[in-house]
Amino acid sequence: MSLIKEIKYSLHVTVRPFDGYWDLKYENKGRLRVALLVLLGVTVTMILKRQYAGYVVNDNYPLSLNSINELKYIILPFLLWCISNWSLTTLMDGEGKFRDILIATGYAMLPLILINIPNILLSNVITLRESSFYYLFDSIGVIWFVWLLFIGTKTVHQYSVIKTISTMLLTLVVMGIVIFLGLLFFSLIQQIISFVYTLYQEVALRK
Amino acid sequence: MKVRSWLIVLAASLLISGFGHNVSYGAPYEGYTYNYWGNSVKSPIAFLPSRVITGNDAGTGAWQSPLDLYAAHNGLLYVLDSGNGRIIVLNDKWETMRVIQHFEHEGKEDSFLNPEGLFVTESGQIYVADTENRRVVELNPDGTFVRAIGAPESDVISDTFEYFPRKVIVDKAGRIYVVGRGVYEGLIEFDSDGRFTGFMGTNRVQFDPVDLFWKSVSTKEQREKMIRFIPLEFNNADIDEGGFIYTTTADKNTASAVKKLNPSGIDVLRVNGEFAPVGDLSINRSSFIDIQVSSNGVYRALDSTRGRVFTYNEDGNLLYVIGQLGNQKGTFKNPVAIESYGDAIYVLDRDLGQITQFKPTTFGGLVNEANRLYSSGKHSEAATLWQEVLRLDANYEMAYVGIGKSMLREGKYKEAMTHLKLGNDREYYSRALAKYRREYMREYFGIYMTVAIGVLVSLILWRRIARSRNERGARDVAN
Repeated sequence: MSLIKEIKYSLHVTVRPFDGYWDLKYENKGRLRVALLVLLGVTVTMILKRQYAGYVVNDNYPLSLNSINELKYIILPFLLWCISNWSLTTLMDGEGKFRDILIATGYAMLPLILINIPNILLSNVITLRESSFYYLFDSIGVIWFVWLLFIGTKTVHQYSVIKTISTMLLTLVVMGIVIFLGLLFFSLIQQIISFVYTLYQEVALRK
Repeated sequence: MKVRSWLIVLAASLLISGFGHNVSYGAPYEGYTYNYWGNSVKSPIAFLPSRVITGNDAGTGAWQSPLDLYAAHNGLLYVLDSGNGRIIVLNDKWETMRVIQHFEHEGKEDSFLNPEGLFVTESGQIYVADTENRRVVELNPDGTFVRAIGAPESDVISDTFEYFPRKVIVDKAGRIYVVGRGVYEGLIEFDSDGRFTGFMGTNRVQFDPVDLFWKSVSTKEQREKMIRFIPLEFNNADIDEGGFIYTTTADKNTASAVKKLNPSGIDVLRVNGEFAPVGDLSINRSSFIDIQVSSNGVYRALDSTRGRVFTYNEDGNLLYVIGQLGNQKGTFKNPVAIESYGDAIYVLDRDLGQITQFKPTTFGGLVNEANRLYSSGKHSEAATLWQEVLRLDANYEMAYVGIGKSMLREGKYKEAMTHLKLGNDREYYSRALAKYRREYMREYFGIYMTVAIGVLVSLILWRRIARSRNERGARDVAN
């Protein structure tokens, strides 16, 4: 399948999620490179949104804009979600492999691109009173994304509805735990380093 | 050899740039304002110190911890020399006209005891908050005693109420408002006959959910040691020509450090800017100790944390900041009172016992004048002055907004949008955008529709042709 066809297929997943995710998993139509492409696309549109969204809805302080931030707000949560979901579902009899989770999550983010780009254009011609449309489309994008993520998780792991919802909520908890452990780890490493350094100073200055 | 000549050039240039540095820091403080995002941005200095007067200069001997100042409508400056218990009246040349120290009260000689507040009515009647004597004294312009108003008497006041009047203001109808020490109920109001009529303008209790949580989980003993939720007390007040009372609160956490009370005691202060008038937006906030309302709604608040004077217009936009704590001329040690007369600002310093007079610079004068025109609705006249302001300070957001609004009225929507964006006024930007959009569409709607319809028609045609060709091809294959 060529890349164009794969991208066309990802659009099919977006509008027909039940059918699309099924084929994604069992017909092997999902491609990791498309998922990563979508991730890249979301990152880029978010950067564009921060910079070029119309002045009426754009409250960013220009000097504080930094594209590296998108790593923090998009790439890191994406990876965190996939890792947490994988860790959790391996314990909860999920059928999905890590690759499946990456692909399902990646494809689910496509609506964010589809909504964001026209929304950025729209935001440049609307007034303050019409800005609620902008926010409406924005939330439609997010809801669509969550809906796709739900179908994706359900299909990939072959869960019931209740189990899918509880898994998704638990994944958020696990994400929190991972962040906590990460911070703890870094703080401990920092203390070890400073301890070793103090020890070194103590020895070095004792000549 | 080459290296050495390079070094000499380098040293010389460093030296010259160093000199330049010193020259540009002639003023004792830096000018700044806050931008839309709450970052401080540099601004030209609006007022510079022009004169300093001490008690010795005025010929009355040193002033001992003077606590209040009043600039009367006729240009006389009244200084309350609290430590010596006297009032000094200076004329506009800063010569002592009168010293009021003793007055005859019920046949005996009476005097003040640590008075903290002073007010002079338009007719020249002097009101003094005679703090330690627990009374407000009214004097005639020549210093003769008229009456003394003692502690408020009413059923609503508890027996443990301690009356220490700190500041006093009098409105045009002769009603007297007193700021009392430790009085949380608001301003104490007396009618023109000196009878207590009630409290007005009580500060709301500050509610903090976090505190509430800790209170609910702590034991009774712990709770007793915590700070109690009490409303904040006012520490100063001023009254404007329309009878609105401006009050200040010293608390650093309140969002309404300044209040504008209408006659029924409701806060009607306008806050059009992004931030309420609270002074500095840093973590260690300002605490206001005096406020002064000058003409057309401009008010100045004196901050005791860093010794700065914040000037706001009637919409609550910060115009400029002057002053600082320090040891130079134009800086203060312990500023306690602020007044203004004409275009000059006076700040009274308690520890140094002196008054500093500030006069506007070109920039300050321009801002004042532009703001005056702007608030009286003369937008196009104001716009030309705002242009001048921008030439001196390209960071001045109010100037962009002023120009933008005037352009919006003149129908220059595109330029108005540019200026309103620079001034960060989204509401007016949006109005300009709506007008511009309509104008743009009226002009280009025909062209866009022609192109769109053309594209649509050719697309349909193209598809139809392609389809018929396919069908023909299929028929050929079938045949």
